[in-house]
Amino acid sequence: MTTTFPEPRAAYIHVPFCAHRCGYCDFTLVAGKDHLIGEYLNALDRELQTLQTPREIDTLFLGGGTPTHLSTSELQRLLVLLSRWFILAPGYEFSVEANPAGFDDDKIKLLTHHGVNRVSLGAQAFDLQTLRLLERDHIAETIVDAATRVRRRIANFSLDLIFGVPHQTLAAWRETLRRSIELQPAHISTYGLTYEKGTAFWSRRHHGVVNPLTDDVERAMYAAAMDELPAAGFDQYELSNFARPGGCCRHNRVYWAGGPYFGFGPGAARYIGGRRETNHRSVTTWLHRVFTGRSPIGEAEQLAPEDRAREALVLGLRRAEGVSRRDFLKLTGYVLDDLATPAIRRHVATGLLEDTETGIRLTHKGKFFADSVIIDFL
Amino acid sequence: MNPRFIRNFSIVAHIDHGKSTLADQLLLKTGTITAREFRDQILDDLDVERERGITVKARAVAIHYRHQGEVYELNLVDTPGHVDFHYEVSRSLAACEGALLLVDAFQGVQAQTVANAYAAINANLVIIPCLNKIDLPVTRTEEVLDEIETVLGLDRRDVLRVSGKAGLGIDDVFLALIERIPPPHGEVDAPLRALVFDSKYDNFRGVLIYVRVMEGAIEPGLKIRFMKTGTQHEVLEVGQFRPNNVKCDRLTAGQVGYVIAGIKQLGNVHVGDTVTSALRPAAQPLPGYHPPQQMVFCGMYPIEATDFEKLREELQKLSLNDASFSYTPETSDALGFGFRCGFLGMLHMEIIQQRLEKEAQIDLIQTAPNVTYELLMLDGQVLRVDNPQDVPASGGLKEFREPVVRVNFILPAECIGPIMQLCEDRRGVYKSTEFLGPTRAQIVYELPLAEVIYDMHDKLKSVTRGYGTMDYEIIGFRAADLVKLDILVKGNKVDALATIVHRSQAERRGRNLCKRLKGEISKHQFEIALQAAIGSRIIARETISAMRKNVTAKCYGGDITRKRKLWAKQREGKKRLKQFGEVEIPQKAFLSVLETGDD
Ligand SMILES: Nc1nc2c(ncn2[C@@H]2O[C@H](COP(=O)(O)OP(=O)(O)OP(=O)(O)O)[C@@H](O)[C@H]2O)c(=O)[nH]1
Ligand code: SF4
Ligand SMILES: [Mg+2]
Repeated sequence: MTTTFPEPRAAYIHVPFCAHRCGYCDFTLVAGKDHLIGEYLNALDRELQTLQTPREIDTLFLGGGTPTHLSTSELQRLLVLLSRWFILAPGYEFSVEANPAGFDDDKIKLLTHHGVNRVSLGAQAFDLQTLRLLERDHIAETIVDAATRVRRRIANFSLDLIFGVPHQTLAAWRETLRRSIELQPAHISTYGLTYEKGTAFWSRRHHGVVNPLTDDVERAMYAAAMDELPAAGFDQYELSNFARPGGCCRHNRVYWAGGPYFGFGPGAARYIGGRRETNHRSVTTWLHRVFTGRSPIGEAEQLAPEDRAREALVLGLRRAEGVSRRDFLKLTGYVLDDLATPAIRRHVATGLLEDTETGIRLTHKGKFFADSVIIDFL
Repeated sequence: MNPRFIRNFSIVAHIDHGKSTLADQLLLKTGTITAREFRDQILDDLDVERERGITVKARAVAIHYRHQGEVYELNLVDTPGHVDFHYEVSRSLAACEGALLLVDAFQGVQAQTVANAYAAINANLVIIPCLNKIDLPVTRTEEVLDEIETVLGLDRRDVLRVSGKAGLGIDDVFLALIERIPPPHGEVDAPLRALVFDSKYDNFRGVLIYVRVMEGAIEPGLKIRFMKTGTQHEVLEVGQFRPNNVKCDRLTAGQVGYVIAGIKQLGNVHVGDTVTSALRPAAQPLPGYHPPQQMVFCGMYPIEATDFEKLREELQKLSLNDASFSYTPETSDALGFGFRCGFLGMLHMEIIQQRLEKEAQIDLIQTAPNVTYELLMLDGQVLRVDNPQDVPASGGLKEFREPVVRVNFILPAECIGPIMQLCEDRRGVYKSTEFLGPTRAQIVYELPLAEVIYDMHDKLKSVTRGYGTMDYEIIGFRAADLVKLDILVKGNKVDALATIVHRSQAERRGRNLCKRLKGEISKHQFEIALQAAIGSRIIARETISAMRKNVTAKCYGGDITRKRKLWAKQREGKKRLKQFGEVEIPQKAFLSVLETGDD
C-alpha cells in the first residue's frame, strides 16, 4: 500500500509571550521577556522562509502564549509577515487567541484589517475566586467588555473556560457557563484542569498546598457543561468543544481528522508527509537554532501506516460523530474492524461505545471515560 | 599423574569474605592466567555473577605450583557464600580433601562461616583457616582469632594471615595447602570410581560431566556406566579446567576435570552419581549426596495466554544449566495456564526471573512465593502441596504441617533483645545463645520456614544495622494451626491470591492484604469489594469506589504526539493487568500478598 500525503492547507503559528505565567500553564512561553519579541519575529521570518513559496491555506491559527500580548506595532509586523507566506483561500478561517485584559480596539481593528475572522478569548471563569486562583489578570467585567467589543467586529468568537479548579464550586461553574452563554459566542471550549509536571500547581499539589477536587465534583462539572451548553444551542462536537451551528473551529478539526498542517514558532507542532514534528519547546533554544541555521525541531516521529491509522481512530473518537468505517478506510487504507474488533466488542459491552454499523462513537456515558476507551484502540 | 603431587581443596567462607579474589591471586601466582587476561573475580563469569558481584556457581580450576623441585597439581574450587547456594558448597567439599576457610579480618566469624566450616568438618576435610583482608585499614585481628577458636574450635596458631586483594601471605597459603592437606589416596589401578559433582550443558558438545576421580582412570574410548541410572556411554574427551576447558589424555585417581560422552540431555546426568567402567565396574558406588532442596515456590503465568509454549521452552532452556530449579505446569482460574516453579531461596528466584524476562521477553505474572506444606489426611495419607490453592477447602484434613528451620544468628550482643523479639513474634522456639567474645553472640532459634525465608534477612540487617548474619537449615515438618486465607474480588475467589497463614495472624494479614490490594487495583467503572475469608467466614473487607471519569479534556494545540504519549503511558500501565471477570488486576497485586512489611 502506498499512501500519498496531501499538502497541508492549515498552519499554526506559536506566539510564546505572556505578561505572567499562570500557575497551571505548561505551554511554551516566556513571561516578562518582552525584549525578545523583536528577535522572535526575526527568527519566525527565517523559519517561514523554509516554505520557499507562499502557500494557499484554508485555516490559519495564531496561538500562544498570548498573541495579543504583542504591542500593536509588533502585532502588525507579525501579521504582515504571515500575509507574505500564506494566501488565505476563499472561505478561510483565521483564528487568534486573545486575553481579555489589554485587548483594546486598536488591536481588534488591526486583526480584522489583516483578515482575522475568529477570536478565541481566554475567559477561563467568571467568579473572582477562581480567576484569582488561576492567577488571571482579569475580572468578569473585563471579559464582558472584551467580548462585547470583539463581537462588534468579529461575530465568530469563542470563549475558553476551565473547570475543576481547586475550591471552585459546582454552582460557580454553572454561573460561568450561564454568563458565557449570555455573551452569545459562536463557540465554547471547556477544559478540565490538569496538574502538569513543572508547573506551580503541580508542586503545590505535590506538597499538599492545594487539593484537587474530587472525581465526583469534576464529573458533575463536566456533566453540567454537557447538559447546559447543548440546551443553549451549542452542540458538543468534540469532547471539550461546543459550537453553535457553523461555529466549529475548522482548524482544530484538521487535527482531529488526522489532517496535515504546518507549524512555526517554538514548541509548534506540524504534521507533513506522515511525519509528526515538534519544534524545540525552549524559546531561547528555538531562537538560537533558527539563527544558527540549524533545525528547530525538538522531536520527530515518522508514523508507520498502522500507527497512523490507530492515531486517526483515537482522535476521531473524540468527535461527536465518531469514526465512520468508510471514511476511515479512505483515510488510512485500513478496515476499522481488522484493527479494532476486540476493543469495539469490549466497549460496546461496557456501554461506553456505540456501534452504528456505519461507524462507532462514544456514548454519553462513554464521554466521561474517553481515555479508558481510547487506550484500548492504540 | 602421581596422586602424591595432587591436592584438592575448596575455598569456603561467608559471603563477600574474599573467596573469588583469593582464587584470582592463586591463578595469577601460578601463571594459570596472565596479568593481561586478569580481571577481578575472574571465575565469576556468569552474567548474574558479574552484575551482582557475587558467586552463584562453584567453579573448579587446576593450577600447577612448583615446590622443592616438584610440580604439584592443585585443584581448587571457588564456592558461593550466599545461603541459597549452600548445596554448591557441600557438593564441592565432597570432591576435596581440604578447605581454605576465609574469615574477614574485620567482620570476623559470620553465620555462613560457621555453616561452611561445619560442613567441611563433617566431610572430614582438613581446614586451613585464613584471616583474610589483612590489608584493611581497620581489622579486629585478636578478637577474630578468639572467635575462630571459640566458635569453630580451631587453633589460632594454625591461622594464616592473608590478603587476596593485596597479594599478601599467598606463599604461606601454597605451603599450607601442600603440607597440611593430605594427597588423595585412591589407587590408579583400581576399578574406576568418579564422583559427578556438577554438570553443564553446551550447545555444541552436549553435556559436560564434572568429575572428581576417586579411583582408577578415565580416558577417551572408555565405556563408562553411571552406577545409579545404569546408562552407558563412550567417553569422547576428557580435560581439565585451566580455567577454560583444556583437553588432556586421561584423568587419574585424585584428579578433577570434565568428561564428554555424547550425552544430549542434562536430565540424564545426576549430580552425586558415580561413574565407573562398563567392562570393569566398581563394586560399590560412592556415597554421593542429596539433591538440592527447593525452599520456595511460585506460579509464573504469561500475560498473553499464547505465550505459554514459549514460556515452557524458556524454562526448559534455563533448567539445562540449572538443575536446582523445578517447574511443573499448573492452571489457575484467575491466571490461566502457567507453571509452578521451585527455587532454593529468594535470591535464586529473583535470578531466574530476571533471566526469563531478559532472555525470553515474555511478560509474566508471578504469584507470591510460598513454602511447601504437608497435609496429613484423616485417611492417613500425607499430601505435599506447594501451592495454597491445592489445600482442600475443608474436611478430611487431620493435620496441617509446615517446614521448620534451625536458624543461626550471629550478631552484636546489643541486638540480642530485638532479634529475640522478632523471632518470638514469628512463632520461634528459642534454642541457645553463645558468646563469641565480649560483644558478639550466636543465637539459635527454630522457626517456621515461611517466617524466615521471605524477609527475615532484611529484618535482621535493619535491626543490626548490617552487622548481623544468619544461616538456616531445614529440620523437618511440624504441625501448626494453619489456615488458608482466600481473597475475593467482587465476590469471586481469586485462587492466585490465596495464602496460607497461621490462624492467630489471619485477621491481621487479611486486613492488611485487602488494604494493599486496594492500593494496587485501580478504580473501575463500578465499585469493587475486596474481601478476605477463611472458608466461608469473611474476616476483612475493603471497597474500591467506582471511577467517575477518565477523560483528557485538555487541548494541546496540534501537539498530537504528546497526547498520544500520554495515552500510550496509560496503556503501558494496563499491559501488566490480568482480566479477572470484570476486574483488571495488575501483576504487582499478586506479589502484594507477600510483603510482610511493617503490618
Ligand atoms: N581490602 C580487601 N578487600 C577484599 C579482599 N578480598 C576481597 N575483597 C573485596 O571484598 C569484596 C568481595 O570479594 P569476593 O572475592 O567477590 O568475595 P566472595 O567471598 O567471593 O563473595 P561471594 O562469592 O559472593 O560469597 C570485593 O569488593 C573485593 O574487592 C582483600 O584481601 N582485601
Ligand atoms: S495566559 Fe494562557 S498561555 Fe499565558 S501563561 Fe496564562 S494560561 Fe498560559
Ligand atoms: Mg565469590
